[in-house]
Amino acid sequence: MSEVKQFKLPDVGEGLTEADIVAWHVKPGDSVSVNQVIVEIETAKAVVELPSPYEGVVTGLLAEVGQTVDVGTPIISVDVGGEGEEDSGGAGTATTETDADEGLRDEALADDLVPAPPGEGAVEPGIEGSPAPKVERQAVLVGYGVKLGATKRRQRKGAGARARPDAGGAAGAAAPGAAAGQASATPEAASQPSVAPGHRAAGASGDGRPVAKPPVRKLAKDLGVDLAGVAGSGPDGTITREDVQAAVAGGAAPEPVVQIAGAREERIAVRGVRKHTAAAVTGSAFTAPHVTEFLQVDVTETMETVRRLRDLPEFAELRPSPLLLVAKALLLAVARHPMINSSWDEAANEIVVKHYVNLGIAAATDRGLIVPNVKDAHTLSLAGLAQALAELTATAREGKSQPADLAGGTITITNVGVFGVDAGTPILTPGEAAILAFGQVRDMPWVYEGELAVRRVTTLSLSFDHRIVDGDLGSAVLRDVGEMLTDPVRMLAWC
Amino acid sequence: MTTLTLSKALNAGLRKALEDDPKVLVMGEDVGKLGGVFRVTDGLQKDFGESRVVDTPLAESGIVGTAIGLALRGYRPVCEIQFDGFVFPAFDQIVNQLAKMRLRSQGRVAVPVVVRIPFGGGIGAVEHHSESPEALFAHIAGLRVVACSGPADAYTMIQQSIRCDDPVIFFEPKRRYWDKAEVDTAGALAGALPLEAASTVAEGADVTVLTYGPLVRTCVEAAVAARDDGRALEVIDLRSLSPLDLPTIVASVRRTGRCVVVHEAPVTGGLGAEIAARITEACFYQLEAPVLRVGGFSVPYPPSRLEEHYLPDLDRVLDAVDRTFAY
Amino acid sequence: MAVDADGAVTAPGPGSLDGQPDPRAELIQLLTPEGERADHPDYPLELTTDEVKALYRDLVIVRRIDTEAIALQRQGELGIWASLLGQEAAQVGSGRALTERDMAFPTYREHGVAWCRGVDPTKLLELYRGVSHGGWDPADHNFHLYTIVIGAQTLHATGYAMGIQRDGLVGENGEAAIVYFGDGATSQGDVNEAFIWASVFNAPVVFFCQNNQWAISEPLERQSRIPLYQRASGFGFPGLRVDGNDVFACLAVTRKAMQAARDGQGPTLIEAYTYRMGAHTTTDDPTRYRLATELEAWKLKDPVQRVKAYLVRTGSADAAFFEGIDEEAAQVGKRVRRACLEMPDPAPLAMFENVYGEPTALLREEREQYAAYLDSFVDEEATR
Repeated sequence: MSEVKQFKLPDVGEGLTEADIVAWHVKPGDSVSVNQVIVEIETAKAVVELPSPYEGVVTGLLAEVGQTVDVGTPIISVDVGGEGEEDSGGAGTATTETDADEGLRDEALADDLVPAPPGEGAVEPGIEGSPAPKVERQAVLVGYGVKLGATKRRQRKGAGARARPDAGGAAGAAAPGAAAGQASATPEAASQPSVAPGHRAAGASGDGRPVAKPPVRKLAKDLGVDLAGVAGSGPDGTITREDVQAAVAGGAAPEPVVQIAGAREERIAVRGVRKHTAAAVTGSAFTAPHVTEFLQVDVTETMETVRRLRDLPEFAELRPSPLLLVAKALLLAVARHPMINSSWDEAANEIVVKHYVNLGIAAATDRGLIVPNVKDAHTLSLAGLAQALAELTATAREGKSQPADLAGGTITITNVGVFGVDAGTPILTPGEAAILAFGQVRDMPWVYEGELAVRRVTTLSLSFDHRIVDGDLGSAVLRDVGEMLTDPVRMLAWC
Repeated sequence: MTTLTLSKALNAGLRKALEDDPKVLVMGEDVGKLGGVFRVTDGLQKDFGESRVVDTPLAESGIVGTAIGLALRGYRPVCEIQFDGFVFPAFDQIVNQLAKMRLRSQGRVAVPVVVRIPFGGGIGAVEHHSESPEALFAHIAGLRVVACSGPADAYTMIQQSIRCDDPVIFFEPKRRYWDKAEVDTAGALAGALPLEAASTVAEGADVTVLTYGPLVRTCVEAAVAARDDGRALEVIDLRSLSPLDLPTIVASVRRTGRCVVVHEAPVTGGLGAEIAARITEACFYQLEAPVLRVGGFSVPYPPSRLEEHYLPDLDRVLDAVDRTFAY
Repeated sequence: MAVDADGAVTAPGPGSLDGQPDPRAELIQLLTPEGERADHPDYPLELTTDEVKALYRDLVIVRRIDTEAIALQRQGELGIWASLLGQEAAQVGSGRALTERDMAFPTYREHGVAWCRGVDPTKLLELYRGVSHGGWDPADHNFHLYTIVIGAQTLHATGYAMGIQRDGLVGENGEAAIVYFGDGATSQGDVNEAFIWASVFNAPVVFFCQNNQWAISEPLERQSRIPLYQRASGFGFPGLRVDGNDVFACLAVTRKAMQAARDGQGPTLIEAYTYRMGAHTTTDDPTRYRLATELEAWKLKDPVQRVKAYLVRTGSADAAFFEGIDEEAAQVGKRVRRACLEMPDPAPLAMFENVYGEPTALLREEREQYAAYLDSFVDEEATR
């Protein structure tokens, strides 16, 4: 029975990746024995003689004299087959020795399973039994050589097998699983929770600390959300970013009030929106020097205009209100005095004048005071502005304002009139330069066209950041708003 | 219970080990007649003889290399390297032979050698006498690395290290050699805290402070001072630097949410880096702030007139605690 | 002190075992390259024919093992091999001088000493095949594992000898240690420290230096200005030079030095003057740094041939004997080859074992995770 084996050019450890065939010492048909020198190869450095790993008959020289051959290329084929031949001791011969059987799987295959195909076409790694390395390696000067890296990933089993996120790395989750306790275990080991990352939930219940990633913690802090009051929907009960945002929008429980019957005092924990508001106004009040100017305005014409707008089909679904015209007037005043719509950048030592208006509307909600803003209000038509304002207030009232709605405002209006007061000294929304409050609209005695009359009057209060806005600018803005509200036609002239 | 200095506690522990096992040997420069430059081996040669307490030639590689040979012959040598900065000639024998012999022999050969090294600064010494090279050894698989911090631990840890069948690098905080404490010299070793265990030396809920060796005392003092700031520090003496007692560390940080690691060795590439990485991985969801490290600067140990600026002290520890609360 | 090309000293210097200056050329030789017996007054040696035949058998088989290993490397079955070609006599001669209780500390080339101690030659292959860092138990044959860091084992041997002293086994019923190292190693600090320790403690250790003239590409002259055996006098103990290609002399010299050590006379430095006929290892290319003529000159001093010549010359052995030895050697070669090819690769998780007496918690965890990682792949990875 014939069994042809191929000898691939091995890494002879001299840093060669290829070699030239210098001289063959055998030819097809010759018998060769193990370790008989069969070929001389020339590396970049020297001539090396290669001994045959096989005993048998040469069936083919697979490389020619003078040919440059890469390491791993078959250079000679030898028929090692034949029963009862004297033991060659070479790898994978068909003859058996009493103690040689076990590791020689190529022998088993040759005899029992697949008839060994002849010739080079049938060479397969694993069955071949070639002594050359089964995995291609880059030859180096010492040792087997560098194994060429894979260029594609090995296929992994389903997601379940990938449960451990850190498998393989020595980084392997911190350390000692508690259970395994050997003689070397610490006395506390048995009672410690496992430190593997998969067991993060242990933290939540066991230690009383809410579990959340650092970025989520920061978000909660920025939004004034107390993690202790947030239920975690993430894996193992961790609190996610979404959980925090939902808590801001009102999904979480209202501030707990501790009440003891008959107590003379009650203590309310400062949490959530209250905490955030407190921080915001404190920051604002004690950073920006506030100046407030007041102007009483005859808004009879404005109220008439509002009534007439309501009759227009464009405003049929909307309910125009005095707020709409106050907002429009402010937007037009901003266009005339852009500096009022700016922000003080302490770090850069610069004033940032915004050429867009995100108009904030202060809203009182069940959870407290929030200031959502209408983005790019300056681009909206009057009807668009009415729509936006309506949506904004509805959303706020439902407690569904998103963090994005609350951020990025450039100027604010606050309606204190709904509380039944005339005026106030509003505190700037942090990052803005001005805030306009308007009070209730009342019937007041007024000098109208030279004569005493009963007119609809309101008070405008404009607070501004005196670092950016001096009295002349602030006054000009306030005056412009007042003029537009006194005579709405003026809006047409200034838009 | 007796009150002993750390140096005397080590002496007592060595004496007990020499008494308990005739195979235990002590060897190093000046350990015999002189009793060691810190007197840690004082009196031992007189009582146990020159064959068991050996004044060696001035050759650190020779000390560790011959100790390996003695261990191959069945002895349990306890080597002394006179000062931390002089361990480097022995580094090859420690890293290439001591650490690897068991694996090389596939478990057939054990080398139960202890290498004692006085380490750390704060004693006003000249160059090479104030180093903290423990991270270099903790990085080498096959070695155990421990550091005692006080007399009670020193007494038990040195005996446990000698009994351990693995090679142990045993660091002794030289500036604490004269610290005194109660030591239970009558207690059975079996009842002592295991060699691999860390010890919580101060309990607190606000921040976990991890340290070892000479700075344990400093951190405990910092914990007392921190009460004035209204902060409760949990101070853990790591004791075993390799392997680390991670369950104890992780349980604490999961409770406090904050961690500061303190060592004299330079921060860069120091043990604190390994600990911080492990904690970040195991406590990510509980951390309020990143793990901060207090240690030496990335400079060679300075002349002694400057060492107080280099070495972590109570204020630097509490400054780090402050910073961990700034997040 | 001057040395000619044959290594014979042309001007005498100190260093015989007795410490007395010896007017004869300091190259102890009992068997000439031509196979003639020579005498040395300090080393009377009587060997029976059977004993000589046994030595010849050792030499031939040791050479055959070495040759087989080189071939296996050339066929990609070993990553590397350090050949002892040309040094067989130094190793067999000294190896056969040891008693069972003596302990030998080799470098990484003492395959001949391993053979004499009874270590299965296939065990030597594990290291070179990359299956383990050491395949045998030192205690089984009192032959320590191979040490690759140059010279490190000289300190181990010295410490071991100090242990023998503490066991009270010096003098009557004594034991000793022998440590092997090369000419290059004599420059290492550890070797010099070992000389110091062995001398000041009078330790029962024999330092057996195979001066094969080359440390990879660097010649002896780069390691020492004086003949190596003279180094010992600087440390205060006897040193001698023996013809390293003369198995009789190596046997005699080592016997005497070992007995002196066992008796409590302390260390001896034996310089076996020999030649590395092959490359430093199979990755080395000696044609880059030495002349073919040098090789040719040393071929004439072949250690195996001279014993054969002696046996023929004295009519002690016939052709059948020599053929029988060759056949036996071939069988050993085949056995080594087969064992090499059949050697199983270690299981991946074996990596985590035997780092410590008991695995640490961290190691257990790493092992578990790596096992799970390996298990997560659909196919088994192709080996090697």
